Order: sequence, then C-alpha cells, then structure tokens
Amino acid sequence: MNKTVLIILTTAVANYSLRVIPFFISRGKDLPPYLKRFLEYLPIAALGALIFPGVINSFQQNPAAGIAGVTAAAITAWLTENLIYSVTASIAVTWYILQYI
Amino acid sequence: MNLAAAKNNSDILDGLKNGLPVFLGYFTTSLAFGILALSSGLNAFEAIIFSATNLTGAAQFMAINLFASGALASEIIISVILINLRYFVMSASLSNRLLSFSKKQKAIVAFGNTVFSIAALREEVPTFKFMIGLEGISWLGWTSGTICGVTMGSILPSSLQNAMSGALFALFAALLVPEIKKGVRALIIASSAAILNSLIFYKLKLSEGWSIVISMIIVTGIAAAFFSQEDIQDIAVEEAESE
Repeated sequence: MNKTVLIILTTAVANYSLRVIPFFISRGKDLPPYLKRFLEYLPIAALGALIFPGVINSFQQNPAAGIAGVTAAAITAWLTENLIYSVTASIAVTWYILQYI
Repeated sequence: MNLAAAKNNSDILDGLKNGLPVFLGYFTTSLAFGILALSSGLNAFEAIIFSATNLTGAAQFMAINLFASGALASEIIISVILINLRYFVMSASLSNRLLSFSKKQKAIVAFGNTVFSIAALREEVPTFKFMIGLEGISWLGWTSGTICGVTMGSILPSSLQNAMSGALFALFAALLVPEIKKGVRALIIASSAAILNSLIFYKLKLSEGWSIVISMIIVTGIAAAFFSQEDIQDIAVEEAESE
C-alpha cells in the first residue's frame, strides 16, 4: 500500500473516531460556550489560511492569474451561492489570463 | 408482506427521500473534489478511496492541497482532525436523539453522520432504517460524484489542467463567501488567518501545513475569546441545548 493511501486511511480512522466516540461516552453537560465558538470558527479560519498565501505560491510565474481566479470565484459565490458555478468562473478567468496575458 | 416489514421499507424510503437534496449537494461538490484531486497529484483510485472512507468535505479539499504541497503525513492528519473536531459536537447532538439504538446500530450510524442536522431537526425520532436510507444516499452522492469527477478530470486538455491548479482556492473562497454573507465576523476571522498564515509562512519559513495549523488555532482561539455567543449558527448545538 502506498503512503498516500495510508494517510487517507489514517484520516478515515480519525474521522470515524470523532464521529463515534460521542455515541459511547457518558454525555456530560453541554460544551462550554468558549469551546462551542472555537469549533464554530475553526473551519472559517482554516479557509482563510488555506487561500493565502497558497494561491500566490501555486502560480509562481503569474500570481495575478491565481488572485483573479479567486476573486472571480468569490464574486460568483456571492451572487449564486453555487460551488460549481464559482469554480467554473474561476477556472475560466485563470485560464484566460494564463493563455493571453 | 406483514405490517412491520412494510414499516421498515417505508422508513428506508423516507430516509432516501429526505436525503435527496443532500445527494445533489454532495454529488456536485465531490465532482469538483474528484477533478481537483487529480490536478493535486492524487490518482483516481486514491481520490475515490478518500471520499468513500472519509466522507468529509472541507477537510478532503484541504488534504489534497497539502498533498500537492508535499506536506508530511503528520501535518495532513493533524489538519484534518482539527477541521473535523466539530463532528464530535454533531455526534454528541445526534446521539441524544438515538438513545434507543443498539451499540451496533450506533457504530454504523456514526460512520455517515454528516447529515446530523436533518436527523436532529426531525420531529419524530429517526429509526435505524431511516438513518440508513438518509446516510446511504448521502454516501452514494459523495462517492459517485468523486468517481464522475476523476473520470472528467482525466480527459481534460492540459491547458485547462494548468488553470485548474487554482480551482481549489476558488472552491475555498466559494465555501467562505456564504459565511461572510451571514456576518462580517467570518470576514474578520478568515482575513486574520490569511494574514497570520502569510506572516508565518514567509517570515518564519515554516512548512505550509504547520503554518496553516498554527495560524488557524491562534486566530480561532482569539476570535472565540473576543466574539460573543449570539449569532452562532450551529443548529446542532442549539438543538442539543433545547432538549
């Protein structure tokens, strides 16, 4: 089994553990409010950190292509709230800049 | 067919019916995942295994980004766990409603617990058969979307594949924007994380994976301390509180 598959299976076990443990531990009180907020905000902070500076680094030759693509996705998402439209718009803009600018 | 069997079947159908919107949403998202997984360097088999065994959204997209940047196994696994800590809360909420389930049933239902909000918001207590229908169709949507995605991805021309190396970031932005529409708070949190991550990555020269992990923990820790409870939009948590 290659390393990638091994990592994937490990995260599968981790995800399953996170989902199954609460079913079997004695339920205590509600989570403290601080912890609830922490869990609520974590994915949002993750998205911000995932976009920058990654999008700049993955287009070393032409960072503008990446930035323009993300901007196109954000605008489309704002208007349509549709993932496929947003990603498609972004690919089109990035492709155009890489080809012609 | 006796009455009990008819009831069982109608519960499965009911679960499938309730899961149909989930199927469509998952299918289209994992279609994107399948395409992007290929452009991030995974092969079709790995991408499909990933979806079928993990059944998790944002964390899978993050992981393929880290795979592409050559991150260590530990960075990838810890990042996935952090993003998915919230499943712990969702399962805690759902388990409150499924007290009558046997241990085996709980162990099965836990695997597909991404649809907790539908199950938690239902008036009547969901039965095991209902949960199997609901989670089964969700899993099918996520896995079959990935299969279609890797099929499409492998036949795209190379100029498009180049452009697609930025599509993952577009997807992150598209996931983030609805949160920002709900309130400026998400914009503050996300941009703080973006700035801190850039500082850590460029100034401290940490790897991309650790830089993301550290910046998201610091920003979330501060944000959770400074922002008040009021507009938390977690249905599961509210539901748990009201019971």
